[in-house]
Amino acid sequence: MSVVTDDAFTQLVAEHHAEIFRYLMRVTGRPSDADDLSQETFLRAFRARASQNSCEPRAWLFTIATNLIKNHFRAQKRRRRAHDALRERVPSGPDRDGEFSGRDVGEVVERIVAGLPLKQRLAFVQRKVHGFEYEVIAQNLRCSPESARANVFQATKKIRRALDGHSADRKEAP
Amino acid sequence: MKSLACVRIESDLAVVAAGEADKATARRVDEHVSRCESCRTLLASYRNVEAATAALRERPVDRPLLARSRERLEAGLADLRHRIVHYAIFPSPLGNVLVARSEMGVILVEYLRGAPHWPAQLTAQGLEPIEDHDGLSTLRKDFAAYLAGRSRRLEWPVDLRLARSDFQRSVLEATAAVPYGAVVSYKRIAREVGRPEAVRAVAQALRHNPIAIAIPCHRVIGTEGALVGYSGGKTALKEKLLSMEGVPIERERKDYRIVQRSTYLLEPGDHEYCLPTCPSKAKVPAGVSTWFGSRERAEAAGYRPCTTCRPDLHPLPSRSAP
Repeated sequence: MSVVTDDAFTQLVAEHHAEIFRYLMRVTGRPSDADDLSQETFLRAFRARASQNSCEPRAWLFTIATNLIKNHFRAQKRRRRAHDALRERVPSGPDRDGEFSGRDVGEVVERIVAGLPLKQRLAFVQRKVHGFEYEVIAQNLRCSPESARANVFQATKKIRRALDGHSADRKEAP
Repeated sequence: MKSLACVRIESDLAVVAAGEADKATARRVDEHVSRCESCRTLLASYRNVEAATAALRERPVDRPLLARSRERLEAGLADLRHRIVHYAIFPSPLGNVLVARSEMGVILVEYLRGAPHWPAQLTAQGLEPIEDHDGLSTLRKDFAAYLAGRSRRLEWPVDLRLARSDFQRSVLEATAAVPYGAVVSYKRIAREVGRPEAVRAVAQALRHNPIAIAIPCHRVIGTEGALVGYSGGKTALKEKLLSMEGVPIERERKDYRIVQRSTYLLEPGDHEYCLPTCPSKAKVPAGVSTWFGSRERAEAAGYRPCTTCRPDLHPLPSRSAP
């Protein structure tokens, strides 16, 4: 068992806070959620550090963050706040007047990703942005590696369609 | 309408575009796209997704926002560090004893008999108890060595956050200064904290000592030398601890008291310890001395033998040498 000491934890925060924040930002699409959930991720990790037995602290932090995201969206759904959330959240896909033009492609994809179903969004961001192996994603999402792979593919397919639609719009634009 | 082969190959196109394909998949895709134009276009689309994803990876995060979040996290962690207490239960000849420590020091030592009230005590103060046997292994060793008489003191830093008042805090601090193998009265502690009339309040404060044993409230007794009121009627525990420290104790029916004729005396502010019969002590009021169970303990605490009564030349018969 590897115990994370206080000093090691300080190091862990220094190394991983920015990445966890980015992950939460990309998956929730809301800065305030990314802030709150990143706080909670590290506070939970700190409480559990004595019993942390994963050899890979980065994957361990992602697991905590992912569980928090799931709870967060579940609670949000329960409270029927979806409508309010959507208003604050970045819109997914192209806007009515095809306003993708003028934005950089990274921003376009970010908006598309924000509109994906949660599991696909989590699997896609973990794989394509943070570079995790499918086995790690599977553990993280509590599914099989095949299911993790399928979720990434479904997400990729949707993004491909949205991007194709986007470039078609751009071609048609005067 | 897509052919079945085109439908089946689509996931492989994504895999090839991502550069994750094994040789067989890459070959299968090559063969297919060489004769299928729509899938060739689709492969280009997937390559486009990969390029867009790379742009997503490189998208800058709002730096001031990130910095504020990190700052908030550091503050949150500092607060949590301050609130977390690690605890373990130590089996001992005195029964099970709960020991908890915060980042500042030992915060709670409690005999676990009857209904434990420590969890409520901790959470009511906004603290977060976490069971941690490994983290308390050093304390466990110190504690066992102390109870076995192998160690003369528990040199634990203490955290007095659970003290109920400033008065109790000062009583606990004064009690912490009573050396191993010595006893003083409640009256003496009341004098030490500048409230000579508050003898009963001192007894109450020690009755609710949150850090039993490490803050040696067992070394505080009645003015006449009786072992009264320990942790809610556990006088027998007090007797065990004091006997182990070499303080001579006798039993009268159900009550215990120290054997004053067998203890050495030290007056407040003095540097010399005396025989109980020392003529220089005739005018000292009752119950303000420190009683030592042996010369060794008095000298270990830094005191010299009195030059009038010479306890070094006329030692008392030792009843229970440490």
